[in-house]
Amino acid sequence: MDTPGLRCSTDESGCDLRLSGAWCIRHLEAAEEQLAGLKVPHDQPVRVDARELTRLDSAGVMLVVNRLRALGVVWSNVSLHHFQPAQLTLIHLVADRLDARGRPRHRKRHPLRFLGQWSVDLLRRFLAQMAFLGQIVQAGWDLLRRPGLLRHRELTVQLQTVGLGALPIIAMMTFLVGVVFAFLLGIQVQKFGANIFVVDGIGLAVARELSPLLTAILVAGRSGAAFTAQIGAMKVTEEIDAIATLGLSPIQVLVLPRLLALVITLPLLTFVGDVMGVLGASLVAASQLDVTYYTFFERLKSVLPLNTVLFGLYKAPVFAAAIAFIACRNGFAVSRDARSVGAYTTTTVVQSLVAVILINAVFAVTHPEIPD
Amino acid sequence: MSHPNYVLETRGIHTRLGGHWLHRGVSFSVPRGQVVALIGGSGTGKSVLLRECIGLLRPDEGQVRLFGEDIWSVGLRRLNQVRGRFGVLFQEGALFSSLTVAENVAVPLKEHTRLPDRLLNELVAMKIRLVGLPMDAAGKRPSELSGGMKKRAGLARALALEPELLFLDEPTSGLDPISAREFDHLLRVLCDSLGLTALLATHDLDTLWGMVDRVIVLHGGRVIADGPVDEVAATDHEWIRSYFSAHSGERTT
Repeated sequence: MDTPGLRCSTDESGCDLRLSGAWCIRHLEAAEEQLAGLKVPHDQPVRVDARELTRLDSAGVMLVVNRLRALGVVWSNVSLHHFQPAQLTLIHLVADRLDARGRPRHRKRHPLRFLGQWSVDLLRRFLAQMAFLGQIVQAGWDLLRRPGLLRHRELTVQLQTVGLGALPIIAMMTFLVGVVFAFLLGIQVQKFGANIFVVDGIGLAVARELSPLLTAILVAGRSGAAFTAQIGAMKVTEEIDAIATLGLSPIQVLVLPRLLALVITLPLLTFVGDVMGVLGASLVAASQLDVTYYTFFERLKSVLPLNTVLFGLYKAPVFAAAIAFIACRNGFAVSRDARSVGAYTTTTVVQSLVAVILINAVFAVTHPEIPD
Repeated sequence: MSHPNYVLETRGIHTRLGGHWLHRGVSFSVPRGQVVALIGGSGTGKSVLLRECIGLLRPDEGQVRLFGEDIWSVGLRRLNQVRGRFGVLFQEGALFSSLTVAENVAVPLKEHTRLPDRLLNELVAMKIRLVGLPMDAAGKRPSELSGGMKKRAGLARALALEPELLFLDEPTSGLDPISAREFDHLLRVLCDSLGLTALLATHDLDTLWGMVDRVIVLHGGRVIADGPVDEVAATDHEWIRSYFSAHSGERTT
């Protein structure tokens, strides 16, 4: 009895529509089928009868109103019979609201328009980046003139989370990479009976490339993402606006401590990475290649000049500055909704990884000499 | 044992939160078609009670019956079926921020019905108009909407599945008085014409005087007054007196 039904009869005086069953959202498709083949003369009165109607909701009303309108029936020609008072108010409300405004407009996207939008967005983003860079430089200059502005607490907290917190993972990763690298290199040098040269290769690779790059990548994923998420969440809860209204500079309070913490800790972490990588390699050398620890480190002392190590350590602060800048900038770009935080955190990781690798490439190209 | 005409019944609700009893035996019932306001000072557990009624938080003791079913003993499957029969408007609208308004309204329809896209879009457009939103709001994201429009969009989503019962948490908070009265009016019109039963937690005295059939006062973990607004306002209880006089003073000046 719940199945919606419809009987239609037409005579000279107009058209009778008898609704039956439940005209509600659970049976909306069946109801629509009933209306599908309907033919109603659009200049004559239409009488809608609800004697056999068991249920009616706004979805059912919408269907009748929309379909009758689509057939060209003027709503004022429709008369309603045997509806309950509550159903009548419902019908009048829905008919009234559906009448009020036109169909939703679908915005068309012209490809040229898309291109234009994209270029303008890109330019705007670039300008915003530059403005942010300017703000940081200015805040840094202020800090140099008045060192009292430095937020010690925030800086130490960041030093701890960025530096100490990352220590175990970085030590473990670089150690393992040292092991793997020495193992694979060992297989090659063994072929020539030149086992001792594994030390030359490891020293150069770990100090110049592997440790700085790996550390920077780990920190970018770990701290860069955290910076964006922290600052972004503060933006969502209007904490950044609160900082500004308290007369403090968000750059001084949030960005500079993070930037400084990263610039200070990344070289230190890189050095830990150097040591751990070499240790891992020496373990393999001793156990697989018959190069004792003593021989390994004696050889290392003579083939790894200090300049190579320093070169690796020089790169670290540059990586750090790039990561911190990208992460903080993206944190400030977060808009006030949940999706935005996730989107910008992803952007931070991708952008800072690309930046680290690009910067590393620039270093490699501009300093091709390998001291010996 | 439950009255067939009662859409919502609570029996002896006890809730313990943060080491003290928030509710010590809250009982009331709401018959079909009634618009009921739940009032009480901040921290008296109105929102908590609302969350218990919609199956988000289990009371430590007591029963919540929706449409005659004890929602805390029927199991999740049945609870989710019952959830299809009521709608909830959260305080900030709780719209999904990654979806447009139209997509937000379409979510319950997509999850609980198997309607073809054409009908679905038609329904969504109707709901959006029903709550008085302009059609160009349909393609906007929640972050682009004003507070009042967010509430309307949230209401459209709550109404998507043609619920019989509506829960509203502070429906007029954060709205200017004009929008708040418009929203009250809209709610009353919708409740009357859609035959809705509504339970709203509110702080807004104008809502009470303007659109509510009955008021339930929560104080000290119990219901201290229950009845039409003018009767409740005349109750001789310290908190109720100061609650209602807090506004009437303003109004006469």
